[in-house]
This record gives sequence, structure tokens and C-alpha cells, in this order.
Amino acid sequence: MKRIVTMRSFVLGVALFGILLILLPAQAKARPIKVGIIDCYTGPAAMFCKEALNGFKLALDKINKKGVLGSKIEFTTRDTKFKVDIGLSMAKELVMRENVDLLVGTISSGVALAVSDYARREKVPLIVWISKSERITGEKGHRYVFSTGENTAMAGKAAGVALAKKPFIKYWIAGDDYEYGHAIANTIWSSLKQRKSAVKKIGESWWKVGEPDLVPYITAIMAAKPDAVIFAAGGASMVNVMKTSKATGMSETIPGWIHTATEITILRALGPGGPEGFMGTTDYLFYHPDTGANRKFVKAFKDAYGKHPGFSGFHGYITAHFIAKAFKKAGSLDREKFIDALEGLKIRSPAGKIEMRACDHQAVLPIFLGVTKKTPEYDFLITTDITTVTGDDVMPSCEEIKKARGK
Amino acid sequence: MMVGQGLDLASLGSQLLVGLSRAMILFIVCAGLSFVLGVLRIPNVAHGSLYMIGAFVAFSFFTLFGGGSAGFWLALILAPLVVALVSLIAERALFCHLYQREHLMLLLFTFALMLIFGDLVKIIWGADYRSISAPALLRGSVSMFGASLPRYNLFLLILGPLVAIGLWLFTNKTKIGKISRAAAVDREMVGVIGINVSWVFAVAFVIGCYLAGLGGALIAPTVSITLGMDHTIIIEAFLIVTIGGLGNIWGALVGSLIFGVTQSFGVLFWPQFAIVFPYAAVVIVLLLRPRGLLKSVW
Repeated sequence: MKRIVTMRSFVLGVALFGILLILLPAQAKARPIKVGIIDCYTGPAAMFCKEALNGFKLALDKINKKGVLGSKIEFTTRDTKFKVDIGLSMAKELVMRENVDLLVGTISSGVALAVSDYARREKVPLIVWISKSERITGEKGHRYVFSTGENTAMAGKAAGVALAKKPFIKYWIAGDDYEYGHAIANTIWSSLKQRKSAVKKIGESWWKVGEPDLVPYITAIMAAKPDAVIFAAGGASMVNVMKTSKATGMSETIPGWIHTATEITILRALGPGGPEGFMGTTDYLFYHPDTGANRKFVKAFKDAYGKHPGFSGFHGYITAHFIAKAFKKAGSLDREKFIDALEGLKIRSPAGKIEMRACDHQAVLPIFLGVTKKTPEYDFLITTDITTVTGDDVMPSCEEIKKARGK
Repeated sequence: MMVGQGLDLASLGSQLLVGLSRAMILFIVCAGLSFVLGVLRIPNVAHGSLYMIGAFVAFSFFTLFGGGSAGFWLALILAPLVVALVSLIAERALFCHLYQREHLMLLLFTFALMLIFGDLVKIIWGADYRSISAPALLRGSVSMFGASLPRYNLFLLILGPLVAIGLWLFTNKTKIGKISRAAAVDREMVGVIGINVSWVFAVAFVIGCYLAGLGGALIAPTVSITLGMDHTIIIEAFLIVTIGGLGNIWGALVGSLIFGVTQSFGVLFWPQFAIVFPYAAVVIVLLLRPRGLLKSVW
């Protein structure tokens, strides 16, 4: 008898547990939004990626206090090690095993393009936040890929506009021998040539990525006596270029230009001894425009991470806001609805209103042109003579995008 | 297309000096690698990591001592010593148990160390780009043959030969240097005549690693100190050591000179394809002398 009672209560218990299991998910809170971040957290590029992640986290802290669709945005990160094959397998792992709602990354254009192709096939949204190849939202663009950072087309065109106004005729082009270096050099040169046909390219030199000693390159360029040099360098190489041009005395005789040379991460590394008068472009400056929104963002970032934000921190920050706002607008976790919501979406950012252009999924960002200068306020150089070129002026038109994509 | 650009005597001369000064840093790093390779028979892949650590430690001392000229000189003296200390710990704790293993094992082991050192650097110094500036005395450039040469490169041109002389004195005039040279040629024999090979190895390893640290501290003012420096240098270093003759310090000098000078002249003569020149030189040397230019101890 006793045995039967135990048996009965056991069956009852199992049944109750079963019912609970069926009922629980229906009553549970909405599930969190899962963002899978693939980026390079090893090697010299790690600095920008870490900062982008910091900007992203900073924004999420605030967003998650209010919540999105009754839940939170969560994220997991994977290291691509700047390699296409690793990046691709990490993206697959995040989508298939971690079931992320969307992918975010990365600093390498090569990885971004490969993952973008995977995202298209699997119909998973991908937001590219640092890498700058114009092909990502240009000829290789599609429904599932977005970019929240400026690209080589925008930066190159802006630089062409700025340099055409300068008196230089003879140019030398030098840079890192990889996709980004050649892409930015090509767009600047065609943009400059288009605006000022008198310019002449008297030579080019390309060094391998990570080349530590640029002195032989710079002295050879000085021997050729160009009017100005366009450096198509990225990452740590920019620091090397600027240090070497100061050490060789080139910065005093031949003006140089680099996209993102005026970026804080580069100028901070150079310290107070960086070369003055170096020309550069970037899409974010922590001191310009000097608005309340920008000041608030800079203060929050500095309090959280102990340093001023650079462009990648800014990109991470706006990416989080784009994601949150798009999910709110979509009203569901459906990927297709998310994409529809993100198209043409406008957010308020520290640098003013930013739109995600519907036709190519490229964020419309301004480009700031400036020249490096010492100031007493900071122990590193900042930029002066800032000219702002709005995104609409430098972005390829929707028709050009259509043509590039072959539709 | 650009062949013949700027080919006057002045630029040739300055380009030669620039190439030679580049060769000096390469020599300092490669001499250390070659020394360890010769005496301990360890292909130390982590040598590049010690070079990177040397640069980062130099940065820390530089900022600690206020970042001026004094900071630079103190960093230059202290950073290689810290690297030597790290290598001493690594040798006594790890390497000394592994000398009897085969080369492949040692290669894998030092590769693992390289990854560990890389992550340690990231944990300690973070991913930011770091930079130190040369002291006022070595800043700017001087005019030579009508072309400009950074003073710092001139400093390297003086320091490189001094290090070479120091190494020569050590290996030829000191007892331990002579023993380590003997151990490089025939280590069983050295052991047979009753010399404690273990401490000879420890000293040789520490000296080799000290040179890696010195190279790192010396390159620090000319570049951005960043993660990944280790990978760049170690490939070049192994190439140089190979064309010079494995384990031969003077081979490292010859190899560095070939590497540095072909690179700087390549840049002058054919800038678009400058990357190729030093590697082409390596291929030619290895085709003609597969065991390296000077006598290999392997």
C-alpha cells in the first residue's frame, strides 16, 4: 500500500513537472536579443576592436536599463585573429551554436567581406563597424549587410576635395601593401585627379604590413622631392609613418596626408612629440563638434575606460543604438523585420543625427578634415582648421551603388 | 617604371647609411638568436617575444622616469636587463629540463611560449599603441652627403659595432665565452672534460635574450610599440640567421647587412616592389650556399 502511494505521488510529481515545463516558456519574459561579435582581439589591430567593444558596452549599459522589447541585449565575442578563415568559422559557430540574432564586426575588410557573403546566404544581418573597404556596402553589398563606419570611398573623396584646394602638383603615394592601403590610395588619387587634372604622381612605394623601419622608404621619397605625400597606411603603421617623417625631418619640408592620422588613438600614441602640420581625415573627433551630446558621451566614455574615445569607440556606440532602435521599431526579433526597420533609420548620436541609408545600408557620416597641432590642454596633438564634409557630399549616389552592384 | 628615380650620389649615400643602421638592430637581435641556436641548439621562436617585451618594458621605464632624455637612457639600460631576468627564470624553470628533447619538440615549446608571452603583454600593457621619444640629443636629422639622416640612425651605426666588439670580446676573451663557443661546436666533449654544461647554457641563453631585449629597447623610439612586433621580427631574424649560417654570430652580422642594405636600396631603385628585394637576396644566397654564407654549427 505504502509503495503504491509513493508511486502515485511520483507520477503526480512528474506530471506536474511536465505541465510546468510546457507552461513556463509561455509565461517567461521575452528572450534576450543576442548579438554575436567577431573581431580581432590579438595583434596590433586589437586596440581599435577593443575600443569599439567598449563603446558598444557603454551604450548597452544604458539601453539595457530601459530594456528592448521587454528584454535585454546580450553579446558574445569571438577572436578572428585578423584571419579570414578563422573569422568565417567563428561567425558560423555564433550563428549555428549560439543562435545569435545578428552578427557585428570586424576590423579586417577581408574578414568582413567573407562573413558578409556568409550572412547573405544564411539570411543573418551583419553590421560592419570598423573595416573600411568601400566594397562592403558598394559592389559587394546586399540586403543583409550594413556599415556603421565610414569607408574608403567617402574618405578618399573627402581627401581629394581637400587636397585639390592645396597648391601641390607632384605627389608621391606610399603605404601598407594590403587591401585597405591600395583601396584608399586609388580613391584619393582618382578623386584628386578628377578635381585637379594638373596633379602628377611621381612615384609609389609600398611596404609590407607591420614593417617596423620606414626610414629607408622616407629618405627615398625625400630624395625624389615631391610636393606632398599621400600615405595609405593603417593602424600602427600610421604611428610609424608620423614618427619617421619627424625623425627624418620630412614633416618640416614635405607635407603628408593620412586618412585617420588625426584620429586620437594615433595622436595619443605619438604623445606631445608628434609631428605638427600633418593632414588627416576622420569621421569622429572627441572635441568636435563641441556639443552637449558629444561632451556627455566623451565624459561617460572617459569615466568608464579612462581615456577619450576615438572613431572605433564611436562606431561601437552608434552600432548599439542602431540595433536597439531597429528592434524597437520592428517590434519583434524577426531578422527580416529588423532589416526593414534598420533601413533608413535615424538615430541621435554624439556627432549629431545619423541616418542608415536605405539604398546601400551605409551610415551617412560626416568626414572631418584637419591639421595636427600642439595645444596646452592635452599631452598629445589635436587637429585645427577643421573642415567638415557631410556624408551626402562624399558618398556614392544610390544610382552609382546600383550600377556597382550590377543591377 | 620608377627605376632611376632620385639616383644621385647623395641619396645613394644616405640610403646606404639608412640600410646599415637598420642592419644594426637586426644584427643585435639576430646575434642573440644565433647564439642561442649555436650553443643551446634551440630554435627559439619566442626570441621575437622577448624583443617585444624589451620594447614594452622600455616604454614603462621611459614613462616611469618622466619621459625625458634620462628616461630614455635608463630605459635603454634597464629594459634589456629585465628581459634577461625573464629569460633566466624561463631557462631555469623550463628550458633546462628540455635540452635532451628533439628539435621539433623544442620548436613547438618555444612557439607555445611565444603565444603565452604575447597574451601576457596584452594583459600587462593592453592593446594600445605605445611610443617613446628619443632623447633631445638624438632627435632630428643631420645632413650627410647633402641628404638627411636621422640622428638616431647615426647612433645605431655607432652602437651596432660596439655590440659586435663586445660579443667578440665575450666569446674570445672570457672563459665562459670560450666554453660556450666550444659547446657550440661539440657539447658532448665539453661535458666529458668535466665542465658543468648546464650553467654555461643558462648564461648563453640569458645573453642571447638580453640582446633581443636590447634590440627591442633600441627600436622603441623609431616605431609604435604594439602587439604583433614579435611576429614581424622573428621571421626576418630566422631568415637572416639561416643565410648567415646557423649558430654563427658573424653570419648573423653578414646576413643582417645583406638584409638591411638590399632593402634600403630596393626602396630607392624600385619602390613599388621593394618588399621583394631582401627576400630575393635570401633566395639567391640559399641557392648558392644552402648551408649559409659562413660556417654553420648545426
